[in-house]
Amino acid sequence: MKSSEEILKIEGEIRQHLKTVMDPEVEVNIVDLGLIYRIEYDGESSVDVDMTLSTPACPLGDAIILNVNEVLKANMQDLKFNVQLVWDPPWSPEQMTEEGREILGM
Amino acid sequence: MDGLKTDLAPSQNVVIPHFIYSTVSFLVLAIMLVISSDSLAGHYFQPSLLAITHVAVLGWATMIIFGALYQLIPVIMEAALFSETLARINFWILAIGITFFAISLWLFSYELLMPIASIIVLLGFMLFSLNITITSIKADKKEIQTWFIGTASIWLFLTGLLGTLIVFNYRFNFFDQIHLHYLKIHAHLGMAGWFILLIMGVGSLLLPMFFISHKLNKKKMILAYFLVNIGLLALSLDWWFTGGSKLIPLYGLIISGGILSFISFVYDSYKKRMRKKLDIGMKFSVLSILLFLAPIVLGLMAALRFPNSMQLLNRISLLYGFVFIMGFIGSMILGQIYKTLPFIIWLDKYKDRIGKEKTIMPRELYSEKMASFQFWTYVPAIVLLSAGILISNKLILLIGSIFLLLCTLSYVWNVSMMFLHKPKDLK
Repeated sequence: MKSSEEILKIEGEIRQHLKTVMDPEVEVNIVDLGLIYRIEYDGESSVDVDMTLSTPACPLGDAIILNVNEVLKANMQDLKFNVQLVWDPPWSPEQMTEEGREILGM
Repeated sequence: MDGLKTDLAPSQNVVIPHFIYSTVSFLVLAIMLVISSDSLAGHYFQPSLLAITHVAVLGWATMIIFGALYQLIPVIMEAALFSETLARINFWILAIGITFFAISLWLFSYELLMPIASIIVLLGFMLFSLNITITSIKADKKEIQTWFIGTASIWLFLTGLLGTLIVFNYRFNFFDQIHLHYLKIHAHLGMAGWFILLIMGVGSLLLPMFFISHKLNKKKMILAYFLVNIGLLALSLDWWFTGGSKLIPLYGLIISGGILSFISFVYDSYKKRMRKKLDIGMKFSVLSILLFLAPIVLGLMAALRFPNSMQLLNRISLLYGFVFIMGFIGSMILGQIYKTLPFIIWLDKYKDRIGKEKTIMPRELYSEKMASFQFWTYVPAIVLLSAGILISNKLILLIGSIFLLLCTLSYVWNVSMMFLHKPKDLK
């Protein structure tokens, strides 16, 4: 079992890796788009990731989720990831980061 | 993955052939228009113009819509297409039917080729309607978009049915009234029933998605659905049974009300958009919505017989059809191609590399400079051709059609670049 500081550090690393996953249409990474709702590392070997898509009708949804799984698998081989797609709460623009808003020209 | 329905997407060999056929049609259309640009200076009922119109509405527009719909139906209805095999067979039926139908119109060979080709096209529409109707009935999600698409496919079938009857009437002469009378109904079934309902239904989903805008008033789309359908039904029945009563402008107003309700929905979406900068695909789409206003004005002028000159009214009727097809529908296709095809090709070519290595972005599959050239040749083409039709000037029409050919060539270049793309290693 890792200390809470280590857990936070690893969760931060995961977030950084997720920043390399782009929405291919908007061309903003999914963290800055506000699509990642929760990253929870249990301190041992398992990580829960809750994420959403900007719309359930997103035709690129499969590609984005595949990308998330592949990036996490490749960069953090010791951990087991459980990526869940959630629709509650639905995504809204308020969830975007400052950086994401800037790229979109808001 | 609960709620994610893209695994219902059809295989690429259902979708891509439609895009290829459509692109070739667009090129053929542009060449035909340069060759016979002066036909736009005459009446709309002449073989070359009928051929050009059908290459545009069937070969170019309807084919690409079919391809895009097969891709989008799982997203819109959250259900897989009822039958992919049927869609594949249907492509060949339509490709053969439309090709020979266009040739038969150009040559005006109404004795044998035109009736046979029109029956083949009608069979294609029938199978399409069947495939879509069964898919929509089986779909879990019956949002208003499902109604738009389902109803549009029924109107498309009726358009084809009346078109086929007109063709057979050349030989067997069973109609009471002259051809132009039925041609008018046929054209409006296709324009309002098929294209308007279809583009509104799909557009009301896609445009807000690309603008990234939320919390829109869906009631406007419900109103649009009912107004266009009621207006068109009344218009067609009136024309069919009375030959055109005094109420025709009223039906035009009802349909226009539906269109305006849709435009107002899109305007809200535009105002609330998160993405301030419009990319080339959305520039064309916004232009398309603006151009949608022109047929409303021109259609009402024709319905009210204003101005009171037969010659001018003929030109207005021709311009009405032209702006609708090459302006509204054309601009939407020229833009939405960049919002659909790059992603379809990218997913296909890079699906095994996603997440494992750095890949190029879908936008990099085509040349942005060429897309921009396409926009800046399209705008003068539409302006010149419209002006040429209105003042019946053959030189302006020729220059306009050359601009359109340039626009087409840049479109063909970009689409070919996407089709021929070889996956690149960015390592």
